[in-house]
Amino acid sequence: MNSTLTWRDLPVLLSGDDTRLGHWTTRVTGGSIAVSIALVIVGAGLGGGAMGAWRSPEQALVSAIKLPLILLLTTLGNGLLNGLLAPLLGLNIGFRQSALAILFSFAIAAVILGGFSPVILFLVWNLPPMSLAESRTTGYAALLVSQVAVIAFAGVAANVRLLRLLQRLGGRRVGWRVLFAWLSGNFLLGTQLTWIARPFFGAPDLEVQFLRSDALRGNFFEAVGHAFSVLFSL
Amino acid sequence: MNDYILNPPPLPPSETPDPSPAPPPPPVRSIFGAIEALVRRPDSMPQVLSEVGVGRVLGWMLTVILGCGLIYGFIIGTFSGHEQLWRAPIKFTGGLLFAGAICLPSLYVLSCLGGSRASLAEVSGMLGGMLALMTLLLLSFAPVAWVFSQSTESLTAMGFLHLVLGSVGLLFGLRLLVRGLQRFRARSQAGLAAWMGIFVLVVLQMTTALRPLIGRADTFLPTEKRFFLQHWGDCIRGKYSKQAATLEPGASAAAPSRQ
Repeated sequence: MNSTLTWRDLPVLLSGDDTRLGHWTTRVTGGSIAVSIALVIVGAGLGGGAMGAWRSPEQALVSAIKLPLILLLTTLGNGLLNGLLAPLLGLNIGFRQSALAILFSFAIAAVILGGFSPVILFLVWNLPPMSLAESRTTGYAALLVSQVAVIAFAGVAANVRLLRLLQRLGGRRVGWRVLFAWLSGNFLLGTQLTWIARPFFGAPDLEVQFLRSDALRGNFFEAVGHAFSVLFSL
Repeated sequence: MNDYILNPPPLPPSETPDPSPAPPPPPVRSIFGAIEALVRRPDSMPQVLSEVGVGRVLGWMLTVILGCGLIYGFIIGTFSGHEQLWRAPIKFTGGLLFAGAICLPSLYVLSCLGGSRASLAEVSGMLGGMLALMTLLLLSFAPVAWVFSQSTESLTAMGFLHLVLGSVGLLFGLRLLVRGLQRFRARSQAGLAAWMGIFVLVVLQMTTALRPLIGRADTFLPTEKRFFLQHWGDCIRGKYSKQAATLEPGASAAAPSRQ
């Protein structure tokens, strides 16, 4: 059995073969890390590019850089936390192994996003230009729903495979506990990083920027709370 | 007597010998062999891919798609005649290949998620086989489509007919794809079912993105972006008529102006 993840193992990674994934996770190699990072960069890059393509090619490029960056920064930023939580919750794996397991799940999600990017680009091609008033409602809604569906599918598929791997390494209950803890931490950091890196779709009346001038103002949860307050005041 | 009826004597051993096992299918050596395998033994596609080589089979499939697609596209164009005789074949074949190309990555990802161990090249070969079988079937429907295109004036009726014929071709093509991918140790078919839905949507949208396929227009491609259900609704309501085409240069679809 090959101890390092290679490009040829992509079907094995996507199928979530927990024997092979467990083998790669317990024997962390530079090759496995490099291939996982490359998959995140290519897959999420294509997914991000498709997201921004409706606004302009510049926005597509910016989103293609930002999306993989968020996934990699979330893995890196929560590496210590996830590495500590795993043994505390009964899963005896090290920092590098926990980081690689999470990287595997992000790589799976990224490959799914990349795989669907041509279909999303086809949708964008069929939408009226973003600058038209009618696009603000129907076009935006169509793209948003499609993107949410693809991202949700990618997230669920990746986490189901991560759960299988964690259950193989630590048993059924421990697997669930560690997955929940990791997801909570990654959700907290990931949503805030996404908030800071906004926009991904872009807006026709705002120029394309890598980061907005008010990028660090507010947070994701404040925005959700504000949206709820507006909704209920109506 | 009753005992005899309830417990009949054992039947003598059959005189006819057991049928011998079917001879193995002849090896595929040419494009015609590949076509025969597609039609007669659709389950053997993975075997053909591994025996002959993906690149070679893909080349054959592409030839079949181009040949059959261009002929069927020409038949579509005969409804309106004029520039549609060359535009419709290009749009039909190009659109089908483009739909296949943009759906290939998601097919590969979803087949892998379902546990299949097929490589990207093998999935491409299976997709090529699916499109080839579909266009082959459409070619066999071409005489029917041509007879109707020469005897009706209704754009909607022709569109509906092509939709039905295309659906039949697509159904057989998808069946070939499902059976083929099962041979690559796929555990689940749920992802493949989702992909089929996406592919059908892409193909249907392609009929609007590349419109008009049946009627006539001033421009090769439409100037207005539309969703296929919106466009079909307008076709059914009779928006695209001979008069509309005359009044609106660059209209997205028009009725035939057969001389």
